[in-house]
Amino acid sequence: MSHSKKMGFNKKRQTLWGWILISPLCLGLTLWVAFPMGLSFFTSMTKWDMLGKAEFIGLKNYLIIFTQDELFLKSIRNTLYFTFLSLPLQLFIALAGALLLHSQVKGQRAFRTIFYLPSLIPIVVSSVMWLWLFNHQYGLINYFLNLLGFDRVQWIDSKHMVIPSLTIMNIWNVGNIIIIFLAGLQGIPNDLLEAVDIDGGRYWHKLRYVILPLLSPIILYNMIVNMIKCLQLFVEPYIMTNGGPVNSSLSFVLHIYNNAFKYGKMGTANAMAWVLFLLTMLISLVIFKTSSQWTYYEGDK
Amino acid sequence: MKRKVFICICIIALIGTGLCLANGQKEESADQVTLEYIYWGSPAEDAAVKQALAEFEAANPTIKVEPMYLPGDLDGSTYNAKMKALAVSNSLPDVGYFRPEEFGNYAENGYFLKLDELMARDGMDDSYLPQTWLKINNATYGAYTAAECQVMWYNRDVLKEAGVPTPPTDYKNAWSWDDFVTYLKMITIDSKGLHPDDAGFNPKDIARYGVSYDLWSTMYYPSVWSNGGDIIDTDGKTVHVDTPETIEAFQNLADLMNVHHVMPRMTGGTNVSPLTMLANGQLGFYVTGQWTLLDLGAMKELNYGVAALPILKESAQIYVSGVNVVFNATEHPEEAWTLQKWMMDPSKTLDLYTSGLWMPTKMSYYTDPEDLAKWLDNDVHPEGFKEAVVDSMAVSKNEPIMIKNINQIWGDYLNAAVESIWIGEKTAKQALTEAAEKIRKSGLLQGSY
Repeated sequence: MSHSKKMGFNKKRQTLWGWILISPLCLGLTLWVAFPMGLSFFTSMTKWDMLGKAEFIGLKNYLIIFTQDELFLKSIRNTLYFTFLSLPLQLFIALAGALLLHSQVKGQRAFRTIFYLPSLIPIVVSSVMWLWLFNHQYGLINYFLNLLGFDRVQWIDSKHMVIPSLTIMNIWNVGNIIIIFLAGLQGIPNDLLEAVDIDGGRYWHKLRYVILPLLSPIILYNMIVNMIKCLQLFVEPYIMTNGGPVNSSLSFVLHIYNNAFKYGKMGTANAMAWVLFLLTMLISLVIFKTSSQWTYYEGDK
Repeated sequence: MKRKVFICICIIALIGTGLCLANGQKEESADQVTLEYIYWGSPAEDAAVKQALAEFEAANPTIKVEPMYLPGDLDGSTYNAKMKALAVSNSLPDVGYFRPEEFGNYAENGYFLKLDELMARDGMDDSYLPQTWLKINNATYGAYTAAECQVMWYNRDVLKEAGVPTPPTDYKNAWSWDDFVTYLKMITIDSKGLHPDDAGFNPKDIARYGVSYDLWSTMYYPSVWSNGGDIIDTDGKTVHVDTPETIEAFQNLADLMNVHHVMPRMTGGTNVSPLTMLANGQLGFYVTGQWTLLDLGAMKELNYGVAALPILKESAQIYVSGVNVVFNATEHPEEAWTLQKWMMDPSKTLDLYTSGLWMPTKMSYYTDPEDLAKWLDNDVHPEGFKEAVVDSMAVSKNEPIMIKNINQIWGDYLNAAVESIWIGEKTAKQALTEAAEKIRKSGLLQGSY
């Protein structure tokens, strides 16, 4: 009685359909993920300006970016600074916002819409808008600061304030995270919250012992996704500061872009892209490994 | 059953549309040629170029030109990125603008049509300014689109109100730097009407500035040269940015912002356009590229004038322009060359010159008074433009675009160094000495094309 040798008609058809149905995915993964990644890795070991022929130079590009390119390390520092400044603030504010929007108040829908609106604005548009808000001379923020008697702040024109400024702008745009948190909050069973009420607990107890533990997988998800987003910071510095002043907002990806398309150093740029990939993976791994300490899945003990 | 019929109808409709579309593309007759023309610029430049292309089409009924417009950006990185993508994907257009700093690299790699025979055949060599034609290894691969340079505009009403005398227009007898700074202080006022040297002047609350210099690489050269300095030698191997003359020129510009408070800090992208400030009476002088005259000329209410550039030690000027090339990939070199010639000929595209966008590259438009009047005698070009700008081209030096890696030397080292001078973090001496060392070590000094 061997099943494997003689497949029934139905089973054969199932296998065929199985292949047909997953073929777009397989094709997509090969064509748009595996192939470009391979090509990028190969390019990272060549000297290629996109115009002439590529010249194989082994791991020299990796050596160059770590030893000769001082902007490379600076761009990593800038990006990590931005990430570790933005990420906690973003998560905290989004969670606080979600908790507020979850409460039963009049006009709940209107509030939710208002908080989500920034996420609907294309990032280029919001960048240009914030460019004006941050303007030293005529910006709205400085105008109000001036009215209140404070000195004008050099937002994105100062070396020290440019990354915090980008962070402020990033926090304004937390609508997406709020929506995901809201969805998580709605999944928390009411009977657990009522149980806290019966035991005489206050809101803090609900938050600490019911809401946060049940929300922790969603916090993890938001943390990973937004960390990757932060590490890939590009559009805002590209449009708003072009990496300045004095390269203090030169992000990792912007530096890669400059090398690839401005200076025609495809090999170096690809080597950097691989370093970014490994860095992202490393940080994700650390977060995942430590997450078992603080995430709670129903069914866990 | 009904559903199947519906699906059939849909499919037939789709095929029908497809056939129609396919047919539509083949409508062009056999002797009709389509050229793609790529260019950058402000919206006003876009309109001006489209107009010139339309007139070309009207004069050459068998040639159709498709404009391919990219919004302008100062350092050209977007345009360069687009060009690179087009080159790699083998979809370069036929003719168009090209970023000067990338010209040598592409020319060496054979992306441009060699123009020498066509030029000799049509007698083009001698009738144009000698700087116009761009050669690599003794072969001509492109031409400067126009003759362009640095100019100093001013708002007449602002100067009058501040009591500043009418600035000289003779480029050889312009203001000295110290005089210039004195006048700039007369113009600059804070919101209480105090000048920079008055007690209680608040530099954080300035209502009207004396001057704004465009702060990007090309615009530094005239000041540096005027002081007897240089950036990189034309041989592409010697760094001059740490010479005392160069350092002083940069320090002078930085002092306008940080010491004299007569110039707004224009770093980063968060600026009101100086042209707008000039028009609003918030600015006395604006030192920029001559092509801004196109936008300036459109501001009918603004009473503007032109002044000769202040002289540090000697008068200096830069010859700068985009490059025009015919791409080697074109299937219609003859027609593409015709279009290239058209765009270079002021008698065909006079609007591009009278509107202030370009200055001609054709010699007779400088030497022949009749031709000179054709593009200078109008409301756009202010009084004194010939003495202050056109004549100053006599002392102009070419923008050093033939130095290898010049773009990256600026991008990776000089721009950051210069920026740290502008924000007052470092003195010009510190920043430029450091930058010079780094450039010497960077391995980017690989000679010139």
